[in-house]
Amino acid sequence: MLPNIIAAGLAIGAVYALIGVTYNVMFSASRVMSFTAGQLGMAGGVLGALFITRLGVPAIIGFPLALGGCALLGVVTEIVAVRPVLSSLEKHLYVLSTLAFALMIQQFTAIEWSTEPQPFPRLFGLGNGGVADEKFWLPVIACAVSVGGLEFLYRHTLVGRAFLAIAEDNFAARALGLPERNLRMASFALAGAIGGLAGFSAGELLLAFFANGALLNFYGFVPVALGGLGNNRGAVIGGLGLGLFQQAANFIVGGVFASVAVFAVFIIVLLAAPQGLFGVPPARRV
Amino acid sequence: MVSFVTRRDFTRGGVALGIAATALPRPAISANDPIRIGWLAALTGPSSTPAIGFDRGVRYAVQQINAAGGVKGRMIELVTRDTQGDPTKAVNATQEMISRQGVHAIWGPTNSGESLAVTPIMARFKMPNMHPCVVDSLIDAVKYPNAFRLAPSNGQWDDAVRSYCLNIVKAKKVAVIGDTTGYGVSAVNASVAAFRKDGADVVYQAQIDATQPDVMPDMLRMKNGGAEAIVVWSVSAAMEARLFNARDTLHWDVPFVGHPAMGTGDIKGLVSKPANWDKVYIIGYRSCSFDASGKLPDHTQAFVDSVKGKIELADTSLWWVVSGVDVINLVAKAVAETGSTASPDIIGYWNTVKDYPGLFGDFTFTPQQHNGYPTSEVVMSKANSAHMGAFELAPGYAS
Repeated sequence: MLPNIIAAGLAIGAVYALIGVTYNVMFSASRVMSFTAGQLGMAGGVLGALFITRLGVPAIIGFPLALGGCALLGVVTEIVAVRPVLSSLEKHLYVLSTLAFALMIQQFTAIEWSTEPQPFPRLFGLGNGGVADEKFWLPVIACAVSVGGLEFLYRHTLVGRAFLAIAEDNFAARALGLPERNLRMASFALAGAIGGLAGFSAGELLLAFFANGALLNFYGFVPVALGGLGNNRGAVIGGLGLGLFQQAANFIVGGVFASVAVFAVFIIVLLAAPQGLFGVPPARRV
Repeated sequence: MVSFVTRRDFTRGGVALGIAATALPRPAISANDPIRIGWLAALTGPSSTPAIGFDRGVRYAVQQINAAGGVKGRMIELVTRDTQGDPTKAVNATQEMISRQGVHAIWGPTNSGESLAVTPIMARFKMPNMHPCVVDSLIDAVKYPNAFRLAPSNGQWDDAVRSYCLNIVKAKKVAVIGDTTGYGVSAVNASVAAFRKDGADVVYQAQIDATQPDVMPDMLRMKNGGAEAIVVWSVSAAMEARLFNARDTLHWDVPFVGHPAMGTGDIKGLVSKPANWDKVYIIGYRSCSFDASGKLPDHTQAFVDSVKGKIELADTSLWWVVSGVDVINLVAKAVAETGSTASPDIIGYWNTVKDYPGLFGDFTFTPQQHNGYPTSEVVMSKANSAHMGAFELAPGYAS
């Protein structure tokens, strides 16, 4: 039982963590909580199955195509649902605009793809459904690579430092001559690719299903809240913890009650630490 | 000279005209009017698969009857509305059919959610209605004297599944699971109660979220409980495929018995290997099942032969098609026997139907019992044996 809790818990937790990182990357560039993050994850699985299974493209080509499609979706999100409401962030119109765009993505997928879950191809054919199966460790590797890559990007590259600059203070960044709009679009493309990677790597676990978007939107938000908004390391720890706790609850109290247990803990944590476990209280201007 | 017509003269004249009118022959218009049958079909949307199958049978039957000259010279006219599986659209379509289209009977809707919404409306207008929805409460001869069920109720499905588990699989310990939909919850509760009433030991009862990516926790609980059969009440192909794959991972050969959704074509692509779909038995119907020698019952085979090239059967369920034919024939028969399309006449005729030899089954209705499908016709089929819309009988049945 314990190996299964760990394998499945880490796998699904890694997916939640990646969706949490997707939220964070979009938030850092725009100060907008874009509720399209889960749909990007869903699109990763659906596009992967579309290219590899339905169109017969080799996996090594289908993988970058799927991620490219999700990056494009991220850019469209920025243009359609984020940019028009940036001037009135305090009115929180982005909640409506991003949710509406997320629903459009979901419905379009349901109409054009299928309303039933579709199979996702076996990528390496390793494992036989047990704890060593690739469906469990692919999302974990994807999470580790993404977070490592982001750390490298932000700390060791000029573009990454520019991302951090607009995340820190976009007015000052613009004053220094940084192309804020282009960097924001690049951030959304990056977020799209990370979300797509989450869905693609978990395709064998979650299948290519249009309704996964809402599920990932919901559970992917929990690590963001637990880890602190904009904190990628917090999102990873929160996501993995959530996955392990959820899977343990599945074993101990059963699937339906597991969701109740997850959200009970979530509410208790937020009551105790409203800024998240790893966040810092916002500074107040005086 | 001016003559006045008094109010008394006017009243007398009116009465005289009324009496004279009753003596005149009725205009022939009603005798040649088409028989208008409303067809509430979820032809698009996520639950459209059954309605598309029913529709093929319905249209075929209408075409056959009209080509033969109609019913006593009256053609059948279908009034089809696509409800998209949405109860609100079904309600609007029902009201439009009754108030504006003047239909004489309604077939459908084809899913219980819509039917729960429209059944009281049809009852208020005393509209003759037949539907194939399984929720037991939809049929109540006192509350809804106008509503008749052409397919088995969930209770009949449950009886067939329980009988197979206890009498053919000889399972003493069973696990009963479903999804978290309203249907899943009510079906599991009813099934568990009936198993316990029959003396079986229900070792595990659970609702599983259809999107739950890993069902191993539930499978381990069932295995540890010693389940000898797993009864499944869910329409989620993904959840069912995950259960079959998890059974293989556990090297467990317990049979799955239950909902027909376990036999949908989607499962084929979702199981890790074809063998994972073995030992899965779904609810089926004797009239639409291949026996051990691979033959359909004679009357079904004759129908299949007659529609070859006219109706596509490979991508649907045969029982949807044949019951679509049956319902049109039952409306036509009611009009032919009574010479009327009035609601009381159609309902009155249906209440007298006894052993009507339909393609799907021999239907019997009485004023007290509007579940017309015989339980003995409900059998278990091999889930992975679909061919031309029909399935092979599960092991244990005499041919």
